[in-house]
Amino acid sequence: MDNRMKDRKILIVDDEPEIAAMIERFLRREGFYRIHVAGDCATALSLCRTVRPDIAILDVMLPDGDGFSLLFSIRRFSGLPVLFLTARGEDEDRLLGLGLGADDYMVKPFLPKELVLRLKAILKRVYAAPAEKRPAAFRLGDALVDLDGAAVRGPRGEQPLTAKERAILAKLHEERNRIVTSDALCQAVWGDDSFGYENTLMVHIRRIREKIEPDPSNPVHLLTVRGLGYKLIVKETG
Amino acid sequence: MDGIVRILRRFVAAAILLSVLLLIFNFALLGLLVFKEQRQHPAPESVVREVAEGLSVLEGERYALAEGAAELLERQQAWAMLIGEDGEVKWEERMPGGIPRTYGLTDVAKFSRYYLAEYPVYIWEHAEGLVVVGYPKGSHGKFQFNWNADWVRSVPWRLGMLLVLNAAVALLLSILMGLRMVRNIRPLVTGIHKLAREEPVRLEERGLLGDLAGSINTASAILQEKNAALKARDEARSNWIAGISHDIRTPLSMILGYASELEENPELPEEERRQAGVIRRQGEKLRSLVSDLNLVSMLEYDMQPLRRERIRLPALARQAAADMLNGGLDERHAIELRPAEEDLWIAGDRKLLLRAVGNLLQNSVNHNPQGCRIVIGAFRSEDGTRCGLVVRDDGRGVPREQLAELTELPYSSNRKHPPRQGHGLGLPMVARIMKAHRGRLLLDSPEGGGFIAVLEFPAEERPAVSSP
Repeated sequence: MDNRMKDRKILIVDDEPEIAAMIERFLRREGFYRIHVAGDCATALSLCRTVRPDIAILDVMLPDGDGFSLLFSIRRFSGLPVLFLTARGEDEDRLLGLGLGADDYMVKPFLPKELVLRLKAILKRVYAAPAEKRPAAFRLGDALVDLDGAAVRGPRGEQPLTAKERAILAKLHEERNRIVTSDALCQAVWGDDSFGYENTLMVHIRRIREKIEPDPSNPVHLLTVRGLGYKLIVKETG
Repeated sequence: MDGIVRILRRFVAAAILLSVLLLIFNFALLGLLVFKEQRQHPAPESVVREVAEGLSVLEGERYALAEGAAELLERQQAWAMLIGEDGEVKWEERMPGGIPRTYGLTDVAKFSRYYLAEYPVYIWEHAEGLVVVGYPKGSHGKFQFNWNADWVRSVPWRLGMLLVLNAAVALLLSILMGLRMVRNIRPLVTGIHKLAREEPVRLEERGLLGDLAGSINTASAILQEKNAALKARDEARSNWIAGISHDIRTPLSMILGYASELEENPELPEEERRQAGVIRRQGEKLRSLVSDLNLVSMLEYDMQPLRRERIRLPALARQAAADMLNGGLDERHAIELRPAEEDLWIAGDRKLLLRAVGNLLQNSVNHNPQGCRIVIGAFRSEDGTRCGLVVRDDGRGVPREQLAELTELPYSSNRKHPPRQGHGLGLPMVARIMKAHRGRLLLDSPEGGGFIAVLEFPAEERPAVSSP
């Protein structure tokens, strides 16, 4: 799969040739080799029609228009994913909203690592086969948490997860190894009006621990961060 | 328009009060001026009575007038006589010539009503006949009044009606005049109200208050002009800063990009890679300075759009603390949450507020490299109209005299001490974020050390929720 990603065609649109050259250089070092560069909207549009890139990195300020109108023109014939790169302190809404469907945005100056990471994330999300879209299962010590199957398989056999438990685990896994506040967890599970669900959340957390922890009263995977929330420790395996 | 109704009411009340006062004044004046003479001289009736009483009968058809009565007559330059039952004059005093000495019934009836040989005369009963006192010619007027009895009885009612009608006319006139005045004033009043709201005003410069209207128009024009100039200058400044940050961002992208590439290049010697790392880290500092500068300038000139939503303060504090811990916090620092209450809501821009709380936490960490303990509390004011967050550390604190200037922009004229650490935009940014939220930032540093920052907001209602 990784090699197929490296085969993707990337279009860089930036009026600053040195920036474009730098981005191209980083991408080539990462193994991407089908890279096209445009310095203005007109070139970018014609490249979009002829080369049919798989993803575009768009600057907002261009000599013959702005990135938004360029994306608007592209959207008339193509739904390719787009990452905006802006030198203005742009408002997130303007970059992601407008009904144009940009996939991500970054503010200059940026670190090359970050750009490559986000680009790969978009490619993965857009082009990966449906089954690969999200890691449906992960390992916690001896237990295997299967989110799709809504079950935990471990030394104690297979234990089913309720819908709420599954939603809590999914949110914690999405933010794995980071503290997730109890408010954010409640919101992910019960929606916006989740004020007052903290005690219910604690009950669910206890039940989850009974299924995933070797010693539920001494958790090692699903930790409580006192006063803040919870943290799921997941050891990344290759 | 409430003001105008009030003016009209006051005006009418004043007009009515004025007419009532005028009426009372007139009555008083009538007594004082008009009937003054009447009281200065004794009334003819009392003179004639005194003469009659002072006239005593002596023996054998002789009469004597008391001393006082005689003096009174003289003072009044009047004369007197006594007419007997038979119509003959029996006694006289100072009587001028040409007055008949005999009177018939008809004569008596005539002069008792009018004049006796053009002398105004007054009569009084006496045991021996009729006492007549005459005044000099032309000194008194005698008038005859005849009243219908029904009419006399209805006089109080008629007088009452008169008063009521007067009051009605006074009310009507004052209302008419008041309305006229209000019609003149109303445009001026709306004009001044508009002026206060800084809206443009254009009034008709005619009529009684034309020059006043002219002044209001001029004031409005000046205000509009100044506001436009101020706004243009603010925009220019903000755009200038936005432009500069934009221009810095592109070269900085390349510095950061290539520095981090060099830093990670395994073919380079350790020392060079370390130096590239220094360039990268300094570049990142510049990056945060540029974006902070841009945000502070947008806030300073009211150009930062706010995306308001209902936010629960303790949840916001937890998120900020979690972000800080997730960003990798040194073990020497600890963050603790102690909200006094969970049900505290405000309306605000979540991203900006997270930034504000994050700045406060970062501040405590930056200024206390030896380590410190940070406690975040949440509170509601006693009257319930405000609520907020308290970020308190037990670190070194700040000299009290420097507290006030911490929220001033670095290098501004209000700031005497240069920022001690970092670029000094952190607290000014928090203060401006709070201002944009109609709240405020309060800072304190107690004697024993430590630093306290209070973020105070107008409290909002809890949104309608479907509780569990």
